[in-house]
Amino acid sequence: MSAVEELRSGALTAEENVARYLEAIEARDREINAFIEVNLRAIEDAQAVDKKIERGTAGKLAGLAIAVKSNINVRGLRATCASKTLENYVSPYDATVIERIRREDGVIIGMTNMDEFACGSSGETSYFGPTQNPAAMGRIPGGSSSGSAAAIAANFADVALGSDTGGSIRNPASHCGVVGIKPTYGLVPRYGLIDLAMSLDQIGPLAKDVYSAALLLEVIAGYNPKEATTLRVESVDYTSKLNADLSGYTIGFAREFEEYTSPEIIREVKHALAKLEAQGASVVEVELPNLAKALPTYYLTVFVEFFSATRRYDGRRYGYRIEEVCGEEVLRRIMLGRYISQKEYSGKYYKKALQFRSLIKKELLEALSGVDLIAGPTTPKLPHRLGEEIDPLAMYAYDLLTVPANLAGIPAGVIKSGEVKGIPVGLQLQAKPLDEQKILNAMYALEGG
Amino acid sequence: MKVTIGFEIHEQLATKTKLFCRSPTNYRDAPPNTNICEVCTGMPGAKPMPVNQEAVDAVIAIALMLNCEIVKEPIYILRKHYDYPDLPSGYQRTSMPIGKNGELAGVRIWEVHLEEDPGKYDPTTGKVDYNRSGVPLVEIVTAPDMHSPEEAREFLKELVKVLRYTQRVREEGGTMRVDTNVSIEGGARVEIKNINSIRGAYRALKFEITRQKNLMKRGKVVKRETRAYLEAQMITKGMRTKEEAEDYRYIPDPDIPPLLITEEKIAEIRATLPEAPHLKEKRFIKQYGIKSDDAKIIASELELANAFEEVAKVIPPQLAATWIRDEVKRVLEYNGITFKESGITPAHLIELLQLVLNDEITLKTAKKVMELLPEKRTSPKKIIEELGLKKLREDSAVAKACEEAIAENPKAVEDYLSGKKEALNFLVGQVMRKTRGRADPAKVLEMLRERVEGRE
Repeated sequence: MSAVEELRSGALTAEENVARYLEAIEARDREINAFIEVNLRAIEDAQAVDKKIERGTAGKLAGLAIAVKSNINVRGLRATCASKTLENYVSPYDATVIERIRREDGVIIGMTNMDEFACGSSGETSYFGPTQNPAAMGRIPGGSSSGSAAAIAANFADVALGSDTGGSIRNPASHCGVVGIKPTYGLVPRYGLIDLAMSLDQIGPLAKDVYSAALLLEVIAGYNPKEATTLRVESVDYTSKLNADLSGYTIGFAREFEEYTSPEIIREVKHALAKLEAQGASVVEVELPNLAKALPTYYLTVFVEFFSATRRYDGRRYGYRIEEVCGEEVLRRIMLGRYISQKEYSGKYYKKALQFRSLIKKELLEALSGVDLIAGPTTPKLPHRLGEEIDPLAMYAYDLLTVPANLAGIPAGVIKSGEVKGIPVGLQLQAKPLDEQKILNAMYALEGG
Repeated sequence: MKVTIGFEIHEQLATKTKLFCRSPTNYRDAPPNTNICEVCTGMPGAKPMPVNQEAVDAVIAIALMLNCEIVKEPIYILRKHYDYPDLPSGYQRTSMPIGKNGELAGVRIWEVHLEEDPGKYDPTTGKVDYNRSGVPLVEIVTAPDMHSPEEAREFLKELVKVLRYTQRVREEGGTMRVDTNVSIEGGARVEIKNINSIRGAYRALKFEITRQKNLMKRGKVVKRETRAYLEAQMITKGMRTKEEAEDYRYIPDPDIPPLLITEEKIAEIRATLPEAPHLKEKRFIKQYGIKSDDAKIIASELELANAFEEVAKVIPPQLAATWIRDEVKRVLEYNGITFKESGITPAHLIELLQLVLNDEITLKTAKKVMELLPEKRTSPKKIIEELGLKKLREDSAVAKACEEAIAENPKAVEDYLSGKKEALNFLVGQVMRKTRGRADPAKVLEMLRERVEGRE
């Protein structure tokens, strides 16, 4: 029985649920390093939820332990972005997603580790040290939502919040063997999410199973009058519509995926495709000829937007000037952003990136127009060993298959499709804007099958 | 040597809330750092809220009043990056042009933008007050179409008048900021920043033109640079040269979708616009047959012009015009207030002027009542009653005062009788004093003459 069911049946109290996770964190997080800060009031919060459960007034997430990535503001906890820059920044306000979680009586269990300012795909660039992959010890957990994915894989929380700018939810979900969803751009409020690249960032859930991922997503999704890039989606209900019957679903697979992905991963992806067919879906081929162009387009966009976003860390208010205390990767991105956003280059790089972005978006939407979903690998390669030296370009290459969804603003989900040498491999499912339900249904089918 | 002057003018818009959050804009009435939130202080994770539509409408209205075309293509909000303590996010948001290719008083208006104000930094204490951070501004960029400080001053006066007419800018004044470009034939263009008033602009230009002319006389080169106007010393001082010019690394703000202004919106705002001051002036002369000087003064403030039209429905227009030009303006200027701020209503003016026309009060009384209107904020009749200023109709009281004045001033009577006609004016003054101005001076003169000459 899942925690959701146990809590609903009354077999488990919120306090017991939270307490068992706190014990697990206490016992094993020294090894995993999934959390930067544990919520010292979690037990108190859980007790308050138990009172509401008794009175019958508790919300949808009543008693679930929720881990939060350290770039999301939770009042009273530190949103460090795993950087020395914000080492002592205690959030004075709740992000909109946190307000929504609190309204539905979820309990925040702590703030998770991550790549510094979400700049990384391995979980190794944190000022607070790297995170282990609980599903493949000794390997990177992926990133940048490394701690959130690891917290789920290590059974430190029921669900977690991550953020995904170019794969930061999907990549660690794949490496850690958990469920992760990057929603349609604008579906989930970004208010309170600390920026990496504003035009790409989305908050999304990581979870052990599809049902709880869908549950968290439906709580945090929907129109937010407080921000300008929000979509006019009033409310969503995914859980009651979860359906593993995929009859009538057409699923596309792009030949280009094979070109850039190691064969052992492709093998697992094809197994998953076969399972989807077994649930009634038909698989067809689609074309994504500009797939490889997505990566440079993505990084040019990130450099410029990240440079702009970090100007507020000027040393006057948060203790340190970012350039003086940040890690190598963060500094590299700021310097590149500063360089290519110069007046004399703006036409050459940033504007060109914006042009390519429309091209990639068009191509993806065209490919999706004939199918319900595009299924494929999440990362082109298996996670490397922790501490192994790899150059920046090899690190960026991890994102090759995940960045197109961000550039196009479409939703994408990842679920474990198998293992290679004991290392989880995740299947990525992409859909048209606001077709999260189809992604969830396909994942639900794989989970059952 | 030909002088060329252009302006970039910033003025705060009269909105209740800030441009990208809902914090209030009354920053001057609030203790430092109380009118703030996550958004206008640039806290990590804060996002701009949807743009304040009131501010966008204000800029459209201003652009239309300046005879601009409104841009129909998507208008991006840009981030202008620079590092300064009053700028909490390290960038200022400024729109691409909303209006283009306008004209005012013979000066071409190149562009009209929407912008946000930064906070306020005090370099001596090192303190920053973010109350002002995020207050919406309109930015108006002119072509270099002015050729002397006097012309530049006239333009700015006209612009301020038009901005006030729109009723979309802050009324309390002192919020205008002006950057000016000035060059002399043969020299480079110099930008002057840090000007806060029309007078400041005039003085800065006067100084700068003399400085440039002196340089050229001595055979030196006027280099392209940015200078600051130092108000206290009335001089300009070098800030940075062209080589040191900052690169603002403009990018479209990824957090804000571009503005799209529809034809319907433009039509809707156009319908609310007041008649432009110079058009109003012309119409007044034609429609009411008043003097052109009077028309210009009356049209200088929208509320005053509107009041005139109300009054002129009942009172002969030229009388109303003269009264407004002489008396109303005198009282406003003495108190340093606008007509709107004075609380004087058209009904007050009609009532007052009718009392004069019906010969119920003297002109002197009317002027006195006029002076009391802004303070008393009540009808002239009430003021007159309260102070007992009603004109004395019974001749007996006036006659008694005349008798007294004659009895008390034998010297004046003697002087008059010996040919000094002006001595009678002294006696009139005495009578007016005794009757506290309520007697009719012409009548008093007649009564005195009768009595004094009768003695002979």
